Amino acid sequence: MTAPYLALGLAGPHLVELTGNRALLSRWDSLPVAFSVLGIDRVDGSAPAAVTLASSAVGATLAGSTKYGRFFIAATPQRDHPYNIARRIASLAHLSGGRSGLLIGVRDDYAPEGPKEAPAWGGAGLGGGAPLNAQTAYDAARAVRALEQSWPHSSIIGNRDTGILVQSNRIVHVDIDNSFSIAGPLNAPEPVTGASVIAWYAATPTDNPPVDGNNPIELVLGAGGSVPVVALGKEPPADDMEGVVLRADPEQSVGNLLDIAERWLSDRFAPIALGGSLRAALGLSAPAPLPPTARAAFPPPKPHVSLQRQRSHHP
Amino acid sequence: MTNRRSGHVLLGINVLVLGYLPASWKTPLLKKDAFIDPEYWANIGRTAERGTLDAIFLADGPLLGDPAYDANPIRLEPTVNWGQVASVTSHVGLVATASSTFNDPFELAERLLSWDHQTGGRAAWNVVTTRGVPAARNFGLPDIPFRDDRYERASEFVDIVRALWESAATGRDIHHHGEFFEVEGRLRVPPSKQGRPVIFQAGGSPQGRALAGRVAEGVFSAELTKNQAVEHYRLVKGFARDNGRSPDDIKILPGLLLSLGSTEEEARRRSDELHDAGPASYSIGWLSQAIGYDASKLELDEPFPEDILRPLNDSQTFTGSIGFRESIITQIRKTNPTVREYLRQTRYTGSGHAGFVGTPEQLADHIDDWFHAGAIDGFNLQPDRLIDGLEVIADELVPILRKRGLYRHEYETETLREHFRAASPTPAF
Repeated sequence: MTAPYLALGLAGPHLVELTGNRALLSRWDSLPVAFSVLGIDRVDGSAPAAVTLASSAVGATLAGSTKYGRFFIAATPQRDHPYNIARRIASLAHLSGGRSGLLIGVRDDYAPEGPKEAPAWGGAGLGGGAPLNAQTAYDAARAVRALEQSWPHSSIIGNRDTGILVQSNRIVHVDIDNSFSIAGPLNAPEPVTGASVIAWYAATPTDNPPVDGNNPIELVLGAGGSVPVVALGKEPPADDMEGVVLRADPEQSVGNLLDIAERWLSDRFAPIALGGSLRAALGLSAPAPLPPTARAAFPPPKPHVSLQRQRSHHP
Repeated sequence: MTNRRSGHVLLGINVLVLGYLPASWKTPLLKKDAFIDPEYWANIGRTAERGTLDAIFLADGPLLGDPAYDANPIRLEPTVNWGQVASVTSHVGLVATASSTFNDPFELAERLLSWDHQTGGRAAWNVVTTRGVPAARNFGLPDIPFRDDRYERASEFVDIVRALWESAATGRDIHHHGEFFEVEGRLRVPPSKQGRPVIFQAGGSPQGRALAGRVAEGVFSAELTKNQAVEHYRLVKGFARDNGRSPDDIKILPGLLLSLGSTEEEARRRSDELHDAGPASYSIGWLSQAIGYDASKLELDEPFPEDILRPLNDSQTFTGSIGFRESIITQIRKTNPTVREYLRQTRYTGSGHAGFVGTPEQLADHIDDWFHAGAIDGFNLQPDRLIDGLEVIADELVPILRKRGLYRHEYETETLREHFRAASPTPAF
């Protein structure tokens, strides 16, 4: 039996505590855990804590002020749109060297529901929206994945002779039409480390995602999934498992969480080497690319002509 | 004015990814994918901070224009982009553009306040309503809402965001039931060091200026002439006063497109080389977008036809920028150039935003002149190419302004709102 990996679950107050303390950040960054979930309490059905921070804002801080720590940001379509989520996810991956991923949630425990007729994204008042359920969250995850893949990184060629920076005819529309209607493409290229890992939270087996043939979910956290969440103060389950998320309650400190994590890492959990992408740390292969039938977003670029050269033809 | 204006100017940098000219990526100073390289962005932040600049600014829109020849359409998400830069800087202000049309006010309020908290109170939100069908089609809409609807929505959106920021401080729920939005709840994000983000407004439509007068603390405007700038400066400060605010509560920073060199000839050569290294279609495309008319259909060697220069019949469905269009038409009417002449001349004079080509000393004269004329509180400078253009601003322009008493020697304040408050007061008018 291979020893499981360890991961950390941070609640709202921990995000404030961790990012406000350089010593804690440095300690967090040097811990050989697989990943941390930034704001797991946003999506696991908890009552909201006294304080929290938007997960992507914390991710941006970690991207710039740490070197090794990998993390999932938590987001849901309750008050957010997959295009906007995909932008933040792709941006974090670029700026963190692929250390980031997305934990997609069904509900946002810190946000009010949208209008009754469309409680997911309906609060944006654009006339759209969807039910607040697992299907909507799953559709959002599919859209995020497709958008992140809509602009292949290898299309950036920077050819100074032809003046072509990007082979933009390789960028495609995503033409999503599920709970959301999204033409695409995304306005940033795919991260060099590939599309971001997308995780799901399932407290019980009935909370698992409504999987279809094109499943973007690569990891399920919680008792319903392959990586159980264990409360700080409890012992990890004895079963064979891939990994464990050690989760602190809001009133427990980050220092306390790191103490226990260090102890567990020296005992029954496998340390994961520092650095590298989240995808590599989890041993996940690259997701399948978009189908070759996807519509090109732009015409093939041609070597360009400057106004001055054009002028010489029109003296 | 009888008394010479005291205090210092505000200096921001409009970080148009690699620079406002599309050929910026071709320099050997940059890797081919610099626009997604964290070190590129960290360097922008650090260089701006070396010049004790007030703020760096990011435009934004949830859509992709064709990046075939130009890095400018590429957009990392601004709160994430500037969040990373915040973590490697300590004083420079960070302005992020976000759409009031394609966001939910609760989520955006939470995200912006969180980001402001993480930056140590250096954040500003530049409110835009977003133009263009491609953005609408990313959000399930066939087209964007009409201009008046977008601004009515923006006004309500901003009020909710501000109320939610306030709820973070008071711990009390808001109960908003408006025309566009219903929000019951509160934020649990800690207030930032400056309390809440600064609010910016960009653009020159009547609706935009009215919104600015009511809520904005910074305005990113487009001004081609000093006289027009003085007029708009007084107009917007007047709107602030009409709303019971002090004119000092709102700072006005027009954009200024820049090519700098150690001599004027060198600056012109740099500008020409950068323009010539980029596609001709770019300037025509930019003009088309700004005036809402396909300029490629115009005869290059004929003057602009009168029907393009007439006042708009219907500003509701106009797809261009009203502010840019107004300043461009004023400029064209002045000299009645052919289309080709106009495109050539705007290399040095700017188009939409004013342009400046010259030495840092001459630029300091220009800033000095507009500042003392009561046309600006500062400039949002837009270097042709940032990787070396920003260094010239930090290391050459700023020391000249300091010698003239127009700029501070070191940061004397910490938050962006404090930077704004420490700048020169509004002159009497």
